[in-house]
Order: sequence, then structure tokens, then C-alpha cells
Amino acid sequence: MVDVSRVQKELTECNRDREVSGVSIALHDGSTISHLTGTIAGPLGTPYEGGTFVIDIRLPGGYPFEPPKMQFITKVWHPNISSQNGAICLDILKDQWSPALTLKTALLSLQALLSAPAPDDPQDAVVAQQYLRDYSTFSATARYWTEAFAKSSSTGMEEKVQKLVEMGFPEDMVRSILKSVNGDENMALEKLCSG
Amino acid sequence: MASEDGSGNPPGDAAAAAPVWNAAPAAGAGCGDLEEDLRFQCCVCLELLYKPVVIACGHMSCFWCVHNAMHIIRESHCAVCRQPYKHFPTICQLLHHLLIKLEPVEYKRREKEVLEDEKRVDTYSPQIIEFLNFKSNNCEIDGDNRPEESNNRPPQEVTSDGNTINEHLKKVKLEDVSCALCKELLYQPAVLNCGHVYCMSCLSSLDDGALKCQVCGGLHPGDFPNVCLDLDHFIEEYFPAEYDLRREKIQLLKGECNQGSSSGTSCTKKGRGRPTNKEKHQDDDLSDVHIGVGCDSCGMYPIRGKRYKCKDCTELIGFDLCEECYNTKSKLPGRFNQHHTPDHRMELDNSALFNRLMRLQGIHEEGPGEVLIEGAFVAPDAVVHIIADDHEEPEDNVEEDHLL
Repeated sequence: MVDVSRVQKELTECNRDREVSGVSIALHDGSTISHLTGTIAGPLGTPYEGGTFVIDIRLPGGYPFEPPKMQFITKVWHPNISSQNGAICLDILKDQWSPALTLKTALLSLQALLSAPAPDDPQDAVVAQQYLRDYSTFSATARYWTEAFAKSSSTGMEEKVQKLVEMGFPEDMVRSILKSVNGDENMALEKLCSG
Repeated sequence: MASEDGSGNPPGDAAAAAPVWNAAPAAGAGCGDLEEDLRFQCCVCLELLYKPVVIACGHMSCFWCVHNAMHIIRESHCAVCRQPYKHFPTICQLLHHLLIKLEPVEYKRREKEVLEDEKRVDTYSPQIIEFLNFKSNNCEIDGDNRPEESNNRPPQEVTSDGNTINEHLKKVKLEDVSCALCKELLYQPAVLNCGHVYCMSCLSSLDDGALKCQVCGGLHPGDFPNVCLDLDHFIEEYFPAEYDLRREKIQLLKGECNQGSSSGTSCTKKGRGRPTNKEKHQDDDLSDVHIGVGCDSCGMYPIRGKRYKCKDCTELIGFDLCEECYNTKSKLPGRFNQHHTPDHRMELDNSALFNRLMRLQGIHEEGPGEVLIEGAFVAPDAVVHIIADDHEEPEDNVEEDHLL
């Protein structure tokens, strides 16, 4: 069974300095402690900067003697993360797990993975190929995915709507177009102008 | 999923149902103090160490945390530094008594908590008798006391919140942290597999081919132990003046010898305690591995090679010896508080991995057992993985017991 008291300690400990570390964990829903949701901030100076990435965390019965199962919910363009389903290729989540690691350290490792991809040991071969052969396209795609999928928070959305409405476009149109381009402000503007 | 958590863990049951965000203080009164003082925190359960076990690399965890983290088929790796080890060490009594004195309330709470868990799986950690005139490092584990019977501990100071040095000085005395050999304050302490604590310099002086404990006579298997840095730092902070004296004295001695063996912290010498013929085993050859069965004398886990099983011990976990311990008639008590006595009959158990798997196959309700067999023939790694998956079942204790 999951060590409940340890997981509770981990949650408290991790969320204590969430502002500094940029990682936090919450219960997925209130009913079980073995299903959690983690968030990490995209590291500065990377194509992921400014994004907030949501990670689905499932604790196996043997936790902490077995690694937690983690998967990106937020779509992300990265050689070691599947662009299809968010599966992660990281040794500490597999055979290099140690019970002295915690959910927080695992999330911090994911954050580090975002800053330092390992294209030689890829999860997503297409992304890895692109990373190795055409870094600038990779970087642009990753940045675009961050803009499109990791920033569409509701508050950000309202600001964008307001901005575009102030430019003179009708609000319902702005909303529907923004939604169709996943919150990408520039693309929405292009569409609004052309349409 | 919710019922899985609940059925498996009665102590955490109520807490699991409660909203977790604000539930942290529910753990107990001593919890707040503990979070500020993380010195003797177990890196696995994140609680105060209970019945601490020190691995050869010098890192420590609770008895059960080490045991549960050990690999049931292959050699294990330290959770902190990943150094490999093959033997489950005995509880370090010096640390155990030190923690009783330092954190009496919290330690008592941990004792209750762990005992609850132990009752649930009907397998107990060794009971440690406490003497009124406790002499550190010199008392042996008494395997004959069931945990239920022994609540006659000496009266303790019940002040957990006074964390001043003066208060502490009353709690821990110099002789509580003295070397088993030189009887002086421990300087750079290292813990043997038997749980007894020596200065690193004293251990190095025992260099006569085999690393044999001077207290219990047990041979130390595996790697030469490293300094237990947590204990070392505690002593240095707690007895700064005495510690400095010891440092000066030992460095002086080293200067005289002119061959200070580099203070031991980076010690990577291989174990000299036992013949290392066992270590020649190919790690992939699992044919002689007794999955999940450990030697109750030297702690080898899992046992490789011949395994002797007690026919008279009735405990769930059984009592087993490896070939060497069987032949040397070691007097160390069992690792799990078994009532083993010398007149018990031992038999050679040949059911290593292969036979064990065949036996598992015959048992119908053990679904995972069958998967295990298939995996074993495909690739050893697959076995590991499947076994790991087993633990998701709430009945994983039953599963393990069956394997034992």
C-alpha cells in the first residue's frame, strides 16, 4: 500500500516553497492519495520559459519503494517526452529510482530535463531527429507549443480577449478564434485581420 | 482506489480521507519539532529514524525502510548513494538508545506506529531490551522477547520541546557515544554489519585479515564500512570540546605512525571479513538465489547458494541461515525477533529460484506467480518488473509471505 503519511509529508514539504522551486503538487481529486497532479514552471532561458506544465502522477502500491508513474498532461515538444501522449523517458522514473527520492525531486528532475534534453536516448524519435539536425526549427516548435499549450490559463485568456477587443474586434469573434488557435494571440490577430 | 489505500493502511486511514493540504499536523504532537530538526530523519519514510540500521556506506534508515528497500533477487543499492550491498545489517543499538534519549516522545510515538504495522503483517523487528544502567554498544539483542511483553522501559524525561544544549547535555552522556574498542568518545564512527560502532581509526587497527567485531565476535561481510557522517556530525556538535581533543589525539597518533590511512572517508577497500567466493557469482545467474529469503545471522539478502531452514520456528518469516553461518554456528539472534534456539532442527532447503517457481505454478490463485515464471525464462529484468507490479495489489504482504 502507498505510504500515506510519507506522501502527505511530501505534499506539505513540496508546496511550502513552491514559489521558489517552481514545482507544486496537488491531489488529482479528493478521493485518493495515489493520484496526484504536479505542475512545473518552464525553466528560464529555454523554449519552455513562461509555460506551466501539468504532470499526471500515479503512485503504485509499492511507493516509495517503486517509482511514481509520471506523464505530461500538457503537450510538450521535447526529445525525451512523447509529443503524442506525454510519456517520459527519464532513468530515475524507471530503474534508477531510489526511495530516498521524492515527488518533488522527481519533478525538479523533469524541470532539469526540460533544460537539458538527452536526444541520444529519445522517447520521441521525430523530435529527437529534429533537435539533432535542425535545432532552430526544434527550438521554434518547442516555443510555439509552449505558447499554445502551456500558457492558456484562463486569466491570460481574458487579457488577450480584452487586448483584441480594444483593437476593435467583436468579443464573441475574438473568443472563438482565440479558442481555435489554442490561445495564440498572434495567430488570432492574423486570422482576425485576414477574416 | 480509495478502498485500496484504506484497507491496506489502518493508521493512515483517517488521514487519507481528510483533505491533505491541512492534514500534516495530524501525525502527532512531536511532528512540529521533527520538521525543524531533520538530523535523524529517515530518508525513506521521512520520519524520525526508528530502530536505525547503518549500511556499509555509512547511510542509515529505519529497520523496515532498509529491509523493504532491499532487492529480493539481486544485490541492493543504498537509497542515498547507490553503493551496492548484499547484507541487511543489524539494528545499531547505540543510535537506537541515543534517539530514545534525544527524542523520547517522538520515538515512543514511532514505536507504537511501527508496532501497529508489525502486528498487521505478524512479523516483528528485533526487540531491544533497555537497561536502567544502559551501557552503550555492549548489550546484545534479546530475541526472546515479544514486542507485546516489553513495555518496562525506564522513566524518561518527557520534554521534547526544550532543545537547548543544556537540556541535551542531561540527555546524552559521553559514554552513550563511546567506541566499542577504545571506550573513548567516538571519532569518525563507523558501524559494522552487527550494529556495533567503532572509531574509524580503531577499525583500521583491527586489520588482521578479517574484520571481526570485538563485542559480539561477528565477522563483518561486504565492504569496509564508511564513516557514518550523520552520527559524526552529531557528536561533533554535541561534544565540541571533547571531539576536538579526540581529533587532536588521533591525528597525533597518525602522525607518529606516519601512514595515516587517509581517514577512511573515501574507503573503498573490499570486505575482508569473509571469503568472497560468493561474489564471483554472475549477477545474471539466478539459479541459486532464494528469492526474498535472508540469512538471519549475517543478513545476506537474498541468500545465494545453500540455504538452511529451521524446521521448528513457527514465525511467519521463518528462520534461515546461509551456508557459512550454518557451518560457523553463529550465535547472533534472528533478524526478525524469531524464537529460534540452538536446539531447533535445521534442514537444507534446495528450493532456489527454479524450484520455487515450479512450486508457485501449482498454486492457482497466485496469478502473478505464473506471470513471474514466464518472465523468468524471458529475461531476468522482466522478473523484477513484474514483481514490482505485484506490489500494487493490496495483498502484497500475503504475496511476500508466500515467497518467504
